[in-house]
Amino acid sequence: MSAVTTTPRPNPDKAVTPKRRRGKRDGHAAGPFVYFMAILLVCVTLGPVMFAVLGGFRTNAQLAESPAGLPDPWVLDNYIRVITSENFWIYTMNSTIVAVLTTAMVVIFGMMAAYPLARFKFKYREQIFMIFVAGLLFPATVAVIPLFILITKDLGLGNSWMGLALPQAAFALPMTIVILRPFLQAIPNELEEAANLDGTGRIGFFWRIVLPLSGPGMVTTGVLAFVGSWNAYLLPLLLLQGDMKTLPLGVADFSSQYSSDQAGVFAFTTLSMIPALIFFLAMQNKIVNGLQGAVKG
Amino acid sequence: MADKTQASAVDAGLSATHGSQTPAAGGRTPSAAGSEPARRKAKPNYRQAIEAGIFIAPALALFAFFVVWPMIKAVQFSLYRWKGFGPLVDFVGLDNYIRVLQNDVFIGSLTHNLIIIVASIAIQLPLGLLIALLLNRKMWGRAALRTIVFVPYVLAEVIVGVIWFQMLQPNYGAIAVVLDAVGIQGPPQGFLGTVELALPTLMVVLTWKFLGFAIILFLAGLQGVPEELHEAAQIDGASWWQTQVKITIPLIGPTLRTWAFLSMVGSLQLFDMVWILTKGGPANATTTMVTFLINEGTKRSNYGIASAASVVLFIIALVFALVYQRFVLRRDNPDIEPQRKKVTR
Amino acid sequence: MRNTKTMRFLAAAAAISMLATACSGGSDEENTNADGDTVITWWHNSNTGSGKDYYDQIAADFEAANEGVEVKVEALQHEDMTTKLEAAFQSGEMPDIYMERGGGELADHVEAGLTRDLTEDAAGTIAKLGGNVGGWTVDDRVYSLPFSIGVVGFWYNKALFEQAGIESAPTTMAELNDAVQKLKDAGIEPISVGAGDKWPAAHYWYYFALRQCSQDVLQSAVVSLDFQDECFVKAGESLEDLVATEPFNAGFLQTPAQSGPTSASGLLATDKVAMELAGHWEPGVMQGLTEDEQGLGEDTGWFPFPAVEGGAGDPAAQLGGGDAWAVAQDAPDVAVDFVEYLLSDEVQKGFAELDMGLPTNPTASQYVADPALADLLAVRDASPFIQLYFDTSFGTSVGGAMNDEIALVFAGQSSAQGIVDATQAAADLEK
Repeated sequence: MSAVTTTPRPNPDKAVTPKRRRGKRDGHAAGPFVYFMAILLVCVTLGPVMFAVLGGFRTNAQLAESPAGLPDPWVLDNYIRVITSENFWIYTMNSTIVAVLTTAMVVIFGMMAAYPLARFKFKYREQIFMIFVAGLLFPATVAVIPLFILITKDLGLGNSWMGLALPQAAFALPMTIVILRPFLQAIPNELEEAANLDGTGRIGFFWRIVLPLSGPGMVTTGVLAFVGSWNAYLLPLLLLQGDMKTLPLGVADFSSQYSSDQAGVFAFTTLSMIPALIFFLAMQNKIVNGLQGAVKG
Repeated sequence: MADKTQASAVDAGLSATHGSQTPAAGGRTPSAAGSEPARRKAKPNYRQAIEAGIFIAPALALFAFFVVWPMIKAVQFSLYRWKGFGPLVDFVGLDNYIRVLQNDVFIGSLTHNLIIIVASIAIQLPLGLLIALLLNRKMWGRAALRTIVFVPYVLAEVIVGVIWFQMLQPNYGAIAVVLDAVGIQGPPQGFLGTVELALPTLMVVLTWKFLGFAIILFLAGLQGVPEELHEAAQIDGASWWQTQVKITIPLIGPTLRTWAFLSMVGSLQLFDMVWILTKGGPANATTTMVTFLINEGTKRSNYGIASAASVVLFIIALVFALVYQRFVLRRDNPDIEPQRKKVTR
Repeated sequence: MRNTKTMRFLAAAAAISMLATACSGGSDEENTNADGDTVITWWHNSNTGSGKDYYDQIAADFEAANEGVEVKVEALQHEDMTTKLEAAFQSGEMPDIYMERGGGELADHVEAGLTRDLTEDAAGTIAKLGGNVGGWTVDDRVYSLPFSIGVVGFWYNKALFEQAGIESAPTTMAELNDAVQKLKDAGIEPISVGAGDKWPAAHYWYYFALRQCSQDVLQSAVVSLDFQDECFVKAGESLEDLVATEPFNAGFLQTPAQSGPTSASGLLATDKVAMELAGHWEPGVMQGLTEDEQGLGEDTGWFPFPAVEGGAGDPAAQLGGGDAWAVAQDAPDVAVDFVEYLLSDEVQKGFAELDMGLPTNPTASQYVADPALADLLAVRDASPFIQLYFDTSFGTSVGGAMNDEIALVFAGQSSAQGIVDATQAAADLEK
């Protein structure tokens, strides 16, 4: 990238250079180069996604004819078929329930753990934190065999929502605690001291001040956990059967079961990505704020 | 990771907002490493410890049960020759470890992991930073752009795998057709079927998928850089680019280093995407340590070897983390974010 | 005060664990459902098209005929099924009825006490199946009932062969190479192979070993796990020669075996390639991969693996194997009844009529509708000896090492000697 430079202007507020912008608040016109980059970015990012979305609007014959063409004519059959299939809704419900359970456990337990790890002083605090951090280095995939035995045999939780949500929550905890901890540390001490003067104890301080203030952080970790659970593949594949399956298994199933039905696979794929997309994108600003870890104040 | 030091990289530089002199990355004096941050004056007391214990218990229990315990089991399995069922009887000591470390495919996998780590950082860091800076400036359609950039990161690996696998097919795939249309002859065996091209192709898909994560983090870091700094720099006559290079990027140094760490860990643990796209093929050109151990386990029933490989993987990740922390993160919080207390209210 | 807090937490923790148990459905241990019916679970891999419907119907019929029995059917994609079965064996949480492929795999399961001995319980059916149960016999006890046994050979598209001017099906490697050349000249991709899944590629080496090695050498190798006979290297050399002629579809190293239209079977079913080396399941798979559910229909042809010049093996010997229904050790007795029902004359007849495989029940053979499958059946019955797929017969560890190395030869990354060395190294671990 070549940097574009201009003659420095002493008074940027009066600048009306059409050529290029500085990062300023009245920026309605970033240069054409910037927009060109942006358009390129959009194409590259959305190309593969649109490939699937549009594929769902074509017939298999069209797909076989020209794999990279546009729908002509547009057909709604594939989408209608998926939406009216019972399995799709069962899988969606399973995915939702597992993701909600996972998210709830991650946020509640993660918050409870991150708070003392961030603000209390006690022996072994750093060691406990380190144990959680080490969990970041240990992928769930690696533990899949012992996990499977533990869940199905020892706990009898095979093929159940909880059997999947528990280990998923456990593996999401390290990231959650790593994100939340600095967040909680950033809450100014003055607030805590003030709370103490009011006679509010630590727990009270937690309920009244910490929780409201760390909302964005919780949203961030919650969304990350939700999306992670929504997209998980290997563990659900081993643990779930039949009516308990989640959407990614449905996609894999659908693409082998109706493997001749490429268009149907695209439709199923498209529909199963929508919920996670909406959820994540609706929250995206909060996520960025949450990661920022600073107190609004 | 690091001993916690409360003061953050940005604190030092931020209070002096006016003036284009900014500290170079990492150029602040670390508050004496290892010492307790000044802000916690309270003495450790019994009551706090109990409360802390109560608060941490559920998370720790969950974690111990589902993460630590399987890890211990993996260590146990790794000392036996075991087909995956029946009792553990055939104790072989460190034999499995020797086999793993002498295995060409495992060494190849490790090499691929390292290549992926380096390539991910070399590609995603500049690209992600550029896009994050772009999205951080005021421009038309910024909100929509921000939204679009995150899309690939939200998609399930399975879905991404299915889509790209179809697009990358030789002769019939969308990419081959598009290349054909502009007169470029794609590789005869396809991008995924050619030994030399499989890993670069995988890198392209990985970049497409995970760039969004880098951008989210970078944007979060950029939010911590106060507007006033930019204004000050502009008053001093710096261009937008100069402002970014001289001020913004050094200030989000900790964010970049944290992202690099997470990216490294992620690259070491790479599995889903590879499994769906290539199963580690062709001819072991795209194996990773995790695909190696899954293959040894589920396909060959050598659970002892698979478990030994998982322990080796964990140790490698740990060494990485420690080395990185020792040489790179030493001066930062090992945190996602530089925190700062807002100077203005 | 502190105590109450602690108590509150303990209560919360207890509530959570209760929640966990409440959410866990009935475990399979009990084998009964809410209505007090006996529940048996059945995993199979006919997850496409008419085969899937047929099996659902069979389960429903069995439920109707047996008061108080519920059959839970799980139709899985083949590769997924093997992954899940592997995990199920480890946890002991097995389906009551599942597929066994015999050989070393079955021996391992028997040794671990996972699989039920059917010798007495299903004596009648076993007598009817006769010699077919040989591959599922361990120490003279029968542990599974084979429902489909076939041999591997070349499935081909008659129309494309005609188009390329190939008069008759190849019977020797020279003729095969000739056919490949003719197809290439006609602009048709000759052979598809799912080397991405490895085992379809491995079948080539198995067959070359079968052609190069005598029956005695092969049978002693299975027992002694010794691959030092020169014929094994020769088999690899034959394979290298074949790979050198570049007969395979574009991207074959990453082509999956049978999932999706771009898989090896899919390419054959949709007229993209002229032939594929595959087992008796191929017509069923191809039907699921075409929109009209017909596969290649009238154009389906089959010929056995060609003879190799100068090989010590009998050119009529075939590589094959089959699928059998096994019953888990702790399954209720009604599961055995169900397996016997699956092998009954009527079910096997329907199985044959749908071309789902090659029935083992002798009364059903006549109903094999597909002429190509009928050809295959004739070859199967005339074969002096059927060698079980090596990866199955040697067990997963040796078989997996072998398949991985063979796939490397396809990529030009290993050699004839390399296959023998890798196989021997894995075998030495087993001893």
